[in-house]
Amino acid sequence: MEPIITVEHLTKRYKKAAVAAVDDISFEVEPGELFAFLGPNGAGKTTTISILTTTLAKTSGHVRVAGHDLDADATGVRRNIGIIFQNPSVDQHLSAEENIRLHVGLYGTYSYRPIYRLMPADYRQRIERLASVVGLEGQLGTPLKSYSGGMKRKLEIVRSLMHRPRVLFLDEPTAGLDPVSRASLWEYLRQVREEEGTTVFLTTHYLDEAEDSDRVCVIDHGRISRLETPAELKRQLLERVILLDALDRDGLIAELRGLGAEVGLDESSGLLRVPFDGKTPQSLIARIVTPLTVLRVSDPSLEEAYVALLRESDSESEEVAA
Amino acid sequence: MTAQVRNTAALRAANSAAPAELRAPRLVLEANATFAVAWREVLRAIKSRQMIAINIIFPVLFMGIMGGMIQQNLGKGLPYAYLPFMLVGMVAQTMYQGGMIGVTTLVEERENGFTAELFVAPITRYTVLLGRIIGSSIASMVSLVGVLAMIFVMQIPVNFGDILRVLALAPILAFAGGALGVLFIGFVHDPKVADVGSMLVVMPQMFLAGSLIPNAGSTGILGIATKLMPLTYVIDLARNVFYMGKPEYSAVVQYPLALDIAVTVGMFVAFLVVGTLMFVRADRDR
Repeated sequence: MEPIITVEHLTKRYKKAAVAAVDDISFEVEPGELFAFLGPNGAGKTTTISILTTTLAKTSGHVRVAGHDLDADATGVRRNIGIIFQNPSVDQHLSAEENIRLHVGLYGTYSYRPIYRLMPADYRQRIERLASVVGLEGQLGTPLKSYSGGMKRKLEIVRSLMHRPRVLFLDEPTAGLDPVSRASLWEYLRQVREEEGTTVFLTTHYLDEAEDSDRVCVIDHGRISRLETPAELKRQLLERVILLDALDRDGLIAELRGLGAEVGLDESSGLLRVPFDGKTPQSLIARIVTPLTVLRVSDPSLEEAYVALLRESDSESEEVAA
Repeated sequence: MTAQVRNTAALRAANSAAPAELRAPRLVLEANATFAVAWREVLRAIKSRQMIAINIIFPVLFMGIMGGMIQQNLGKGLPYAYLPFMLVGMVAQTMYQGGMIGVTTLVEERENGFTAELFVAPITRYTVLLGRIIGSSIASMVSLVGVLAMIFVMQIPVNFGDILRVLALAPILAFAGGALGVLFIGFVHDPKVADVGSMLVVMPQMFLAGSLIPNAGSTGILGIATKLMPLTYVIDLARNVFYMGKPEYSAVVQYPLALDIAVTVGMFVAFLVVGTLMFVRADRDR
């Protein structure tokens, strides 16, 4: 199956900038994938997303989105994508419904009518139902000035899906939202992916949101440093360890070494630390006879792996500079 | 039933009601989008009561104070009645200015991020800007309420048939201003500069183009400046239509009708094309 996004040797150098914001990156995204595009501030995430969504010209490289070449058919690209921008892009002077009506008019999804009641019945049905899904029912006619940040994000998600895009670009979609709003937005997005098979291209600073992604692409200083599944990224960068302790610590250390385990001291907790990569923790725990006072299995999060990766990258940069 | 199951069912129902994209020729889709962009401007104008009040009061003050002073102190020296001259000039200027200012607010919207929603839509940039010009033109009709009210307040002697002919020109007058607005935003990208800059573009034209102050006798640098002002030809076009067949026609109207039309249309096309190219380039080629 043809990738839904193909990026080859993409470079973007802003005018008067000494270094490229995006420096010769290449990757592909498969249809239906949840693709997390991560990186620290200024790494090149928004620049890349702006190029893929046709709002920023690239310096060089080749991009195809949903079968359309970015240079030859930018309109074809735009017709197949939906975007939720880092900063809310709604008209505060209009109501939620008027913002959505403008959107479907721009995309040609429905014939535009100046009054809601004159819009096609299909439109009215769809917007009412989607509003009920995200919890905006009865509030579509309210001016956006009275909407909270979370409500505006929900509106943007409904709006971005009205024309049924094949690829949904989410540029830090939950920035500034409270945990409940974040959770409900992700629940809704999961349903959308399940129902419509929409490909999601996500940038976020909340790493827990990327835990469920199919693949994680980490960009740093404009270059891709990793492109893996979250599990593989964690496996490569962090040890899975058992943290344990006993009243007879020396006896426990001797027993663990006798079982062939590498025993160390965990600096942050002060507990004994035993890596179990490639095995299950149970295979070791079941054989320990020394009475334990503490037993914890530490499965690293994507956030820990990400931080480790950036630290590794920073120290490499410092070595090169030295 | 759990909330998730209920939501999934609702989403499935919403999607089953979703249409395929409008199966229409490209031109129809662009026209649909133009209408949507234009109507947004109208909605914004309708919803802002303060702006409606300002748009009505501003020409009233201008005509009442400045026009009144000129009429009382200088009007008797003119070979034609000053108040109808001023009225037509103000109608043209109000529409032109409204069209221009409506478009220049795009700079502010680019800054606050709303233009991103417009420019990722699968339509041409010309459609967005044309919709904006049309919407601003319709919205600036509100200002005409104040201008026309002054006919009664200042007891301006006019034939309503003549005024209706000028009002029929109103969209063209506003389009011309809107095109100048597009050229302006092609070169000015900072919202603060745009605020001050648009006044710098409007104010000299207001005095040099002859909307309130007669300029037919201007010579030297001022004479050249009046001829360089795009608004000069727009106002002269309106006066051409208003004074056609009247004895004072030759004293008021400066250029042939064909020349006014040619310059107005030519500037509209040139400003729109160059301004759009510059605006898009500034946005994409950073």
